[in-house]
Amino acid sequence: MRAVAAIARNTFREALRDRVLYLFLGFAVLLLVCSKLFGLLTVGDEGKVIKDFGLAGIQLFTMLIAVMMSVLLISREVDSRTVYNILAKPVRRWQFLIGKYLGLLATVAVNLALMTAVLLLVTVVYLREFDAGLLFAAAMTLLEMALLTAFATLFAVLTRPMLGTVFTLAVFVIGHVAEDIWLLTQHVDSGIVRPLVVAVHAVLPNLERFNFKAEVVHGLGVSSGEVALTVIYGLAYTAMVLVLACARFRTKDLV
Amino acid sequence: MAEIALSVEGLHKSFDPGLFERRVDVLKGLSLEVHRGETFGFLGPNGAGKTTTIKAITGLIRPDRGRISVCGLPHDRLEARARIGFMAEQPYVYNHLTGREFLEFHAELLALPRARVGARVAEVLELVSMTGAANRAMRTFSKGMLQRLSLAQALLGRPELLILDEPMSGLDPVGRRDVRDLILAEKERGTTVFFSSHIIPDVETICDRVAILVDGTVRAVGEVRELVAQEAEAYELSFVGGDAVDLETPLLASHRGSDAWWVRVAGEHRDALIRELAASGARLVALSPVRSTLEEFVLRHYEGGGR
Ligand SMILES: Nc1ncnc2c1ncn2[C@@H]1O[C@H](COP(=O)(O)OP(=O)(O)OP(=O)(O)O)[C@@H](O)[C@H]1O
Ligand SMILES: [Mg+2]
Repeated sequence: MRAVAAIARNTFREALRDRVLYLFLGFAVLLLVCSKLFGLLTVGDEGKVIKDFGLAGIQLFTMLIAVMMSVLLISREVDSRTVYNILAKPVRRWQFLIGKYLGLLATVAVNLALMTAVLLLVTVVYLREFDAGLLFAAAMTLLEMALLTAFATLFAVLTRPMLGTVFTLAVFVIGHVAEDIWLLTQHVDSGIVRPLVVAVHAVLPNLERFNFKAEVVHGLGVSSGEVALTVIYGLAYTAMVLVLACARFRTKDLV
Repeated sequence: MAEIALSVEGLHKSFDPGLFERRVDVLKGLSLEVHRGETFGFLGPNGAGKTTTIKAITGLIRPDRGRISVCGLPHDRLEARARIGFMAEQPYVYNHLTGREFLEFHAELLALPRARVGARVAEVLELVSMTGAANRAMRTFSKGMLQRLSLAQALLGRPELLILDEPMSGLDPVGRRDVRDLILAEKERGTTVFFSSHIIPDVETICDRVAILVDGTVRAVGEVRELVAQEAEAYELSFVGGDAVDLETPLLASHRGSDAWWVRVAGEHRDALIRELAASGARLVALSPVRSTLEEFVLRHYEGGGR
């Protein structure tokens, strides 16, 4: 397990030294400026706008980190062949991959935590309220990113970096609209469209499940059963994708 | 019977170069054995399959067929991997780490006792004369410095079997000597060293045995002295009062000096040549066996590659 931890730590350090935290700073500035603007512009409920906008921003920024950093850092290690030195040591292939994954996830999580802290601070300062729901929504975004990072890991071992990034981005986008499209095409039964939609819907995760923005922003309740189901769904899906990635990487020739 | 540190049996490997191209067979039933404690040179022309063999031994690629064992253990067991110190053909760099951090990271992978990591890292840095640059970012290192660091990484876990892919290429003469001395020092400690190289004089001075790989199979293997002795069956002769062009005996080489001819002949034809010279009235002035070097032996095998 020391090997996994060492690889995770090294990956995290690489991400930090690659200055990913600048993304977080960008988010913070954007949020502060926009909150000020919303305060001036919105007549109605400025609190809801800030929260909604903040949560969406957090999701977008962490998604960018998950998509861009993940594929990049894994393929960089394989393409620049630093992986040779690692895997010639008493380290299993899956330990390498899981180490990379955990390091990336830690990077995503730290950024997400910092952004959430900024959002909480903004709501406390501007709106004079502390909304714990924001923490819950952020936690669900982390779960979504855990799954997305697993996909990035899978694509990093399956294809080239550029394609891997595109595919991961595609999973994110399709994962958010698949359910709607599936519903929309319920009654379409012509040609190829329906089977295609059904296939995509069956294989790709439904990322809308992790979206609790509306509930949090409007202060609606969420049942603990639903939360539990979402957590199980996210973890199980993540585990499955990681197992696939490790299985592919286990027999891969490193040339 | 010497103990076997590394055994490779019937290794086959082919690569799929991509769509619409023929598979290339790179290793074609390669076998070799390296005894414990010996320094073993792995020679072969560019593209012979040395790096491919080494990658198979270290588990970076999977052979199609064949068996590899390290210190009696199947090579894919972690216990086997823990006994190997590996230095890759090119040094590979983490841009974000310093030399010391790089080694500390690898010490973690080897699961060295935590309390001893600092001391061991300092020790190997000293061994490869990199203490002074240890706290600089790796991306600022020269090729030679990276090579030393890569060697340091291989030595970190006090391996029983050191596998080095062209450890001396790209080094200046001082660096080459340092690496040579390091290999000899490791040998002194009882470490088995298996390394590929194109620098024949180095191989000749430090190796106990060598194998010559051509086109994916081992063409020759043995002690340097033995291999060279096989080759020594050639003679150089000088004579006056005749013409080499007229001789019927097959010659390996001939050259006309200011007053004498100089020719080289294979051992089996030596006596025939002497008789022919005597019959033609030429006078033999010198005869000596050619002491062949490993270089010549190697060249002959490399050039006979295709067959
Ligand atoms: N991934 C690959 N795909 C296709 N062919 C490959 C691949 N890797 C190696 N080869 C081929 O295998 C052969 C052996 O390569 P290898 O790197 O083992 O040679 P080498 O003996 O180490 O040569 P050098 O002395 O130049 O380092 C070469 O012809 C090379 O083109
Ligand atoms: Mg090579």
